Amino acid sequence: MTSTKPVVIETRGLRKVFSAGRAPITALQDISFAVREGSFVSLVGPSGCGKSTLLQMLAGLMPSTAGEVFVDGLPVRKPAPDKISVMFQDATLLPWKRVAENVEFPLEVRGTDAAERRERAAAMLSLVGLTDFGARYPHELSGGMRQRVAIARALAPDPRILLMDEPFGALDEQTRIKMGHELLDIWSKTRKTIFLITHSLTEALFLSDIVLVMSHRPGRIVGVIEAGLPRPRTYDIIGSAEFGAARNRIWKLISQDDDESGDNGMASL
Amino acid sequence: MKARILFVQLSFLAVVIGAWELGDRVGAIDPKLLSPPSEVAATLWALLQNSSFLANASDTIVRVIASFLIGAPIAVALGFVMGENISIGRSLSPIFNLVLAVPQSIFLPVFVLVFGLGFTEKLIFGITHVIFVVAVNAMAAVREVPHGQVVLARSFGASKFRIYRSIYLPAMAPQVVTGLRLGVIFAIIGILLAEMYASRTGLGVLLLRWGESYDVDKLMAATVLISAATILINEIMRIWEARIGRWRQVVDDP
Amino acid sequence: MSLRRLLIIMVILGTWEAVRRLDLVGPLLLASPSEIIGAFVKSWPDYFLALRFTIAEIAAALALALIVGIGTGIVAGMVPFFGATAGPLLSSLFAIPLITWYPLFMVWFGLGTMSKIVYAAVSGFFPIAINTMNGIRGLDRRYLLFGQAIGCSRRQVVFRILLPMAMPSIISGLRIGTGLVVIGVIVAEMLASFGGIGYLISYYRSIYATGHVYLGILFALACALAANWGLSLVERRFTHWRELQIGER
Repeated sequence: MTSTKPVVIETRGLRKVFSAGRAPITALQDISFAVREGSFVSLVGPSGCGKSTLLQMLAGLMPSTAGEVFVDGLPVRKPAPDKISVMFQDATLLPWKRVAENVEFPLEVRGTDAAERRERAAAMLSLVGLTDFGARYPHELSGGMRQRVAIARALAPDPRILLMDEPFGALDEQTRIKMGHELLDIWSKTRKTIFLITHSLTEALFLSDIVLVMSHRPGRIVGVIEAGLPRPRTYDIIGSAEFGAARNRIWKLISQDDDESGDNGMASL
Repeated sequence: MKARILFVQLSFLAVVIGAWELGDRVGAIDPKLLSPPSEVAATLWALLQNSSFLANASDTIVRVIASFLIGAPIAVALGFVMGENISIGRSLSPIFNLVLAVPQSIFLPVFVLVFGLGFTEKLIFGITHVIFVVAVNAMAAVREVPHGQVVLARSFGASKFRIYRSIYLPAMAPQVVTGLRLGVIFAIIGILLAEMYASRTGLGVLLLRWGESYDVDKLMAATVLISAATILINEIMRIWEARIGRWRQVVDDP
Repeated sequence: MSLRRLLIIMVILGTWEAVRRLDLVGPLLLASPSEIIGAFVKSWPDYFLALRFTIAEIAAALALALIVGIGTGIVAGMVPFFGATAGPLLSSLFAIPLITWYPLFMVWFGLGTMSKIVYAAVSGFFPIAINTMNGIRGLDRRYLLFGQAIGCSRRQVVFRILLPMAMPSIISGLRIGTGLVVIGVIVAEMLASFGGIGYLISYYRSIYATGHVYLGILFALACALAANWGLSLVERRFTHWRELQIGER
């Protein structure tokens, strides 16, 4: 495994309580995990378990009530655009800018000069296989292509870690599977550290080395499953016995959590 | 949370009125230009007991109500026809949209030129203000009718009347009420404008006269009164609008 | 296509002229095209001078309404509490017939251009502010998060991401606002003024010069249409992406 690589992002005892007037809501409770360089880690959990809250805290977009987030050993208290890139479910491309301009945007904000920006954008677009689409507008692209542009944009500043919040959630199944392959391809080429949030057990296992399993609110890590599947992977691996076994382990953790909380959590999965 | 918002709004209002009164007393604000709230309130009270003022006010109110009561039903019917009948709609709606886009008020002088200053003429001016906005909204309301339900009802053999009453009416109601609300506001604007421009009686005339003679107390009192009345009417109709449209939330989101 | 249009226009003009010549409609009610042209030939310097006057007032009022309106809208959209308190206030105040405040403005700002500019600016302020506020409020929150995540300052997020995205709403507010500003200026001129197109219209009405009245109205309409046209240009420049987006759905 990658157990000798340095830790890129780490949380210790992370806790988040929302006190919106009436009863305080504990969204996250005692979240502690570490992600090593170059690994692909997924987080699965039912809807409403606090996944997005966690992601925002990892990105420095939201302060914690207790506990800390560390990137390369330094605490994260506000966004660190040179170290952390975030991708949302909706590609959040700026519709009035062309594709290449979108990819350049984070660099533009940073103050990188124009020539370097353009070069970098071209390189990223070629990485995601959209070299000829630089002059197009986002609305001319399909959903999957837009997500690829979003990936290119996220990788443009060469971050230490890429955080993804259900990036393929809005796509149809076939595109999802294709995008999964694409993402693995990009990952193997760039060896970036990726932290991906999803509610699909299959997707999590297919893509990652390690799957963190989260309970529903208040969100806790109820298990850490090592995928233990060989790479490179293609989608037919989901038919294999090892895949099924790993999936069952995850499923058990989730349903156990449901039983313990005495609630029919089936609704949220 | 709502209570907090209301509190802030009310206290903001209180602070403004308080500072206003204080400013006048202290002399920071010229009382000849901006009378203190206490005087405005006193003047208002006096006006409301003055028969001449009341006579003018009732003239205005009668004109507004009359133009609305005449214009609104015609407009709703017209809008309904334009919405239901596609060919009529397509030929008439560009005209309606054009009229709404072009400022109607600038035709006032022509109006006066042509028709003179009488009651009927002011009424017609007010009616034109009402008709276009109500009709356009009524036409849009037809679009709110769920076509699928109509087809279904017809397949069950429901009579036309039944369909209109049970499906069209509730579906169209919220949008039509929006149009009616705007219609009232536009009627008020139209009538007051006509009065200011060329009339012998009415609140508009009083306002202009008091403005020209620097009778600030009465001017402020009347202006505040009219503004408050209009806001009240608007809010009441908004509540009605919201009431009728309550069911909409449920059906909407997929 | 344009030949056909030209023909139709000529037919309309011809009938219009005939109706007057044959005295089918009285001289007070309708002015024939020849009368209007006659008026133009006679008094065009006055009209163009008045036009300059009116346009200057419109421009000033529009600038004021724009800056204060969009500014207020941005703050109301970005700061939730301010928006929640100010929003309903704005919508309620919008219902007030502003014309009733015009005499008061005349007392406060004098009979000159200032009162007209303020009146027209306030007329335009409300729809601009309300639409800007709703436009920004209605944006997907992820755009704000995205901006922050890539290291934008508050100001950069507003001006480089949120405002451009909210443009369609802002422009529709501008549409209404501009219309109200143009009407506001002209109506105010009609009521009490010494210059401007509105004043001319009123003056010629008082001496029953129908041709001149109609000419004045045409000038006023031209102002409204020009403003509208200018707005369409702005719209196309800033929201071309939106049209296409809607089209694809």
